[in-house]
Formats: sequence, structure tokens, C-alpha cells
Amino acid sequence: MKNAVRTLRTHIGLSQADLGSALGVSRQTVNSIETGRYLPSLPLAIALARYFETTVEEVFDVDA
Amino acid sequence: MSMHDTKRRGRNWTVPAVAAVIGVGYLIAGVLGDDLRFGIFGLLLMLAVAGAMMLAGRSSETVQGLLDRRDERIRGIDNEATMFAGMAVIVAIIVGFMVEIARGQDGLPYAVLGAIGGVTYVAAVVYLRFRR
Repeated sequence: MKNAVRTLRTHIGLSQADLGSALGVSRQTVNSIETGRYLPSLPLAIALARYFETTVEEVFDVDA
Repeated sequence: MSMHDTKRRGRNWTVPAVAAVIGVGYLIAGVLGDDLRFGIFGLLLMLAVAGAMMLAGRSSETVQGLLDRRDERIRGIDNEATMFAGMAVIVAIIVGFMVEIARGQDGLPYAVLGAIGGVTYVAAVVYLRFRR
């Protein structure tokens, strides 16, 4: 499943460590989500969407 | 310092504290079994493990995640690693049981360990079935 986390994060000039710290996860986990190796839980997916002030569907492309 | 930070810091100590308690258990077992050297070695070994985890947690995100258990991905990795370790122990118990039976023995202690594992698994399935 593809996602727009990296695009959204770099768009606001945030590092993986900063985003991880804001969400309560490690930098490695943010990297794993961005590269598609790790699919986050629903609460973390919602937290990501809320952080970027968008929807889960906008962050995660279920059809990709 | 927020309550969340205090709770997180407390969690950081859980795994090293358990390691230290196991070390104290080794010491008590050594004293009771008249093998003080084993007891002291066991205690020092487990204290070293606890200290190494605390030190490694400062430079490794993975170790830090295993200590504070905040990161859901590392919690998942820990759960799967624990499952693999459990499977390895179960295989060892079954093989050990077979070897003991083949040698004409009664299969102990492998039979008891296998029974504990089986009963625990069924109990866990029943418990989790009602929780989820």
C-alpha cells in the first residue's frame, strides 16, 4: 500500500525524527511507514492524518 | 516533567529491574544449593545484562523501544520474536520428550513442560477470545 507520508512530511520541512517524536514512535518506524515496509495500526494512521490535517484516505492509498 | 514522561521513565526500568530480580533469584538458588560461585556469577551476569540494556537504549532506537514499549512497530517485533522463541522452546521440548521415551525413560521433565505449554496456550486462547 502506497502512502504520502514522506511527501507530506518533507512539504512542511519536518525530519523523520521530529515526526516520530510528535507521534510517539521512533524515527525507524516513520521510515518503515514511508517505504511501505510497515503498515501502521488504525490509531497511528489516524494520528498521522490528523497531524497533517488531512484524512487517512489522503495519506494511504488503499488501491495502490 | 509531565505525568506521561514519569510513566515512560518508569517503563524504561521494568526490563532491567526484571533482569536484576532474576539475578537475585540466581543468587538465592546458589546460596540454597551450596553453590555460592554460581549465585554470584548469575547475579553479576544479570546485572550486566540490565546495565547493557540501559546503555544500549541511549544509542539504539530499537532497544529504547523494547524498554519503554511506546513504539507499536517495535512492540510488534517483540511479540513476533517472543513467538518464534516460544516455538523454538516447544520444538526442543517435543524432541527432548521423544528422545527420553526412546531411551526408555518416563519423558520427564519434558512431559510436564509440554503440558504447561499446552494448558497455557488453551487458557490464553479462551481468555483472548472473550477480550476481542
